[in-house]
Amino acid sequence: MIDTIEKEDTIISEEEAAQYDRQIRLWGLDAQKRLRGSRVLLVGLRGLGAEVAKNLILAGVKGLTLLDHEQVTEESRRAQFLIPVDADGQNHAQASLERAQFLNPMVEVKADTEPVESKPDDFFFQFDAVCLTRCSRDLMVRVDQLCASRNIKVFCGDVYGYNGYMFSDLGQEYHYVEEKPKVVKGSNEANDGPEAKKPKIDPNETTMVKKTISFCSLKEALEVDWTTEKAKSSLKRIPADYFLLQGAVSERCSAQELFLLRRPEGQRGGRLLQLQISGLGRTQSRACGAHPLPVAAGIKICLLDDTFA
Amino acid sequence: MAELVGPLRKQLADSLSSCRVLVVGAGGIGCELLKNLVLTGFKNIEVIDLDTIDVSNLNRQFLFQKKHVGKSKAQVAKESVLRFCPSANITAYHDSIMNPDYNVEFFRNFQLVMNALDNRAARNHVNRMCLAADIPLIESGTAGYLGQVTVIKKGQTECYECQPKPTQKTFPGCTIRNTPSEPIHCIVWAKYLFNQLFGEEDADQEVSPDTADPEAAWNPADAAARATASDQDGDIKRVSTKEWARSTGYDPIKLFNKLFKDDIMYLLTMDKLWKKRKAPLPLEWEEINQLGSQEQVIGSGLKDQQVLGVQGYAQLFQHSVETLRSQLKEKGDGAELVWDKDDPPAMDFVTAASNLRMNVFSMNMKSRFDVKSMAGNIIPAIATTNAVIAGLIVLEALKILNSDFEQCRTIFLNKQPNPRKKLLVPCALDPPNASCYVCASKPEVTVKLNVHKTMVQALQDKILKEKFGMVAPDVQIEDGKGTILISSEEGETEANNNKFLSDFGIRNGSHLQADDFLQDYTLLVNVIHSEELEKDVEFEVVGDAPDKAPAPSAPEEGKNIANGNKDSAQPSTSSKAAVEDDDVLLVDSDEEPSSSTMDTESSNRKRKHHDAETDDASSKRKRLDQQPADDDDEDIIALD
Repeated sequence: MIDTIEKEDTIISEEEAAQYDRQIRLWGLDAQKRLRGSRVLLVGLRGLGAEVAKNLILAGVKGLTLLDHEQVTEESRRAQFLIPVDADGQNHAQASLERAQFLNPMVEVKADTEPVESKPDDFFFQFDAVCLTRCSRDLMVRVDQLCASRNIKVFCGDVYGYNGYMFSDLGQEYHYVEEKPKVVKGSNEANDGPEAKKPKIDPNETTMVKKTISFCSLKEALEVDWTTEKAKSSLKRIPADYFLLQGAVSERCSAQELFLLRRPEGQRGGRLLQLQISGLGRTQSRACGAHPLPVAAGIKICLLDDTFA
Repeated sequence: MAELVGPLRKQLADSLSSCRVLVVGAGGIGCELLKNLVLTGFKNIEVIDLDTIDVSNLNRQFLFQKKHVGKSKAQVAKESVLRFCPSANITAYHDSIMNPDYNVEFFRNFQLVMNALDNRAARNHVNRMCLAADIPLIESGTAGYLGQVTVIKKGQTECYECQPKPTQKTFPGCTIRNTPSEPIHCIVWAKYLFNQLFGEEDADQEVSPDTADPEAAWNPADAAARATASDQDGDIKRVSTKEWARSTGYDPIKLFNKLFKDDIMYLLTMDKLWKKRKAPLPLEWEEINQLGSQEQVIGSGLKDQQVLGVQGYAQLFQHSVETLRSQLKEKGDGAELVWDKDDPPAMDFVTAASNLRMNVFSMNMKSRFDVKSMAGNIIPAIATTNAVIAGLIVLEALKILNSDFEQCRTIFLNKQPNPRKKLLVPCALDPPNASCYVCASKPEVTVKLNVHKTMVQALQDKILKEKFGMVAPDVQIEDGKGTILISSEEGETEANNNKFLSDFGIRNGSHLQADDFLQDYTLLVNVIHSEELEKDVEFEVVGDAPDKAPAPSAPEEGKNIANGNKDSAQPSTSSKAAVEDDDVLLVDSDEEPSSSTMDTESSNRKRKHHDAETDDASSKRKRLDQQPADDDDEDIIALD
């Protein structure tokens, strides 16, 4: 059983077929129909939110609700491309609405100006997928949990200058299909050319393989105990950003307040991973997570980019 | 602490506002890139694109709306960007970057050039212009979910042409004309047929049975005799397809019977061909029509995705011929139509003709949707891949402007994460190839051809322009006299075009100096005379990997299509540890290996090109002098 959004078995119109032609040729008509039946919530209309809005609207979802309770400032306006230049002071979602709609008139785009924290549980239940940007840890954990019960997909993300993260929760039992090329053995009855004996991979023939995968909840992801043997062994493959961003996720900081510093002194040996979070002029140290990080290998945190110098 | 403007150092922020950059292409990557540049703080941007907006662009080229269809991409892109950033200084050119107006001086105006192209010819050209002007170039491309970005800097990295790129696959004439075995052969045939009937007739696009097919002869002498005969003897040579069609008033039924009955019956007389192959089955118009009219199958698929029966395609054939016939008539005497996948009757014609031929040769027929993909070399495309790539382009641009060139990388965007769970895989840039025929200090190549059979025109068009990417070549013979063979000035050497190279004393061991002054490029061409080239092969570049023989496409090549299109690359299966600076690494391993030092280099090289050289002759494009630009409105990639 494929876990899908109900695809309305309606015919795709000529207009849609023409506009979505290039993507239908990539992900197929069925996928397009499912997109066309989906309602999505997008929280946060800053730089990241505008990109997400654009991509979802162009893809042809049924409806997208833009939710943001804050007012446009010159700074926030210059971070994205949907807000007109004369809209300072307006609500972000409302200011972005018109140009978002212009991206694709076939999508129902709405604006909601309330703070996401004040939304009751059932507000989220009207959606097939929820995208949370710039949200607090507590809110994201709450929304992730309540959406799980209704099989609503949850995506969280945020950006801090050159850093950023994205987290997705598609549920404990997510069913999907993978397209694999079909190997055709022997000759087509069609045409026995001299080389017909070789098995060919017909690029136009593919087969769909069903798969299932399990996603952990955001809460579980944030509460990993790094002192366990299992966690230690996976440490090598985890980028330093991950720990940095855990701190950031816990408490949203602005890009200018977030730095990674190079730690030149000997890295071996157990050591608390420390992050220095510096604003312009003030410095605070904060331990990342609550646990000391283990040690088989030294952990090097590098300057991500010289521009931070 | 350094002063910051947002996340950027003030110095960098300042250089962004003062520098001038050129964006070549305003399509999928171009739209995303323009938006990114402007939001990052770039102030002086010039963008050039020769194309106009099509409805199929709207799923990803977000600066365009339905009301803009038909307008200039560069122009509308500029206007849309100004709406959210009125202070940006953008100049838009609705023009081809290969126009000689955009000379080395023009390129020198910029600190950085970024490509957002969809075809090899333009990429080659911009590559050379940037080498000549010594300006860094960021090259990129996408196809479906895959994408790639790289940086090209003269003297420090490989140029775009340092590594040979696989050329577009072509099929031998006899496969197209006599023994098709795959739908694509029939589709290519149908496109040739379109040109023969309605468009520009091309001697390389014959559709009638090939009597000189070596496979058809029972002994080699026979084949040779037939070949000579059809070249020289007017009796055996058929009257041109267009003349014949005209003489019948483009009667669809007569056309149908000639192409799908008479010509097929002729092929059947070449019995050797059918010893090991299933023989074609001729079609009869009257018989087909007795089957009654095509049933409409209503399904939930797209209308275009339905596969009709043979009577459906016969009807479509008749209908499209009639429509094209009147289009031709309207245009007047000597008119020619240009095939365009987005022109419904032209597309209908190819759908019908190719399917009828598939039916004749017992192949499963294809829907219009699938035929359009193959005939038009359509590369599937979505917004997000382009968005990612455009983001990476800007990050590389910032490194360049920040003089952090050592941080620049080639970055691949894959469809599946690699064993280290990465979708984005950076690789160190390679140094220039010392024997590159473009960026080496004295580039030179050796070409094998038949000096008695190669005309000057072919040298110019097929070798220098098509193969070696020149736009306006000048050629002189190094014979001590500096004899001028080809002049880029129009008309000057026209008289030479139909003469053979040997007429000028060119023989085995001769040297030609070819220059393209616009590209500031000189190439020494060493000539080797050979009479043993394969059929349909006019020349060979010594040192190139041999073209795939007439055999059916090898499995991993996927859709090797005559008119271009490399299929989407397979995700990297390289186990090479690509450079990953942000991993939690052992402190010792600071080294970032260059891709060329790894012994899994070969798997990196095998990364497929997503070069979409699509067949395009859409009238909306400015016609380029050379061969059809083969462009789809796709952003395709392909670097490697």
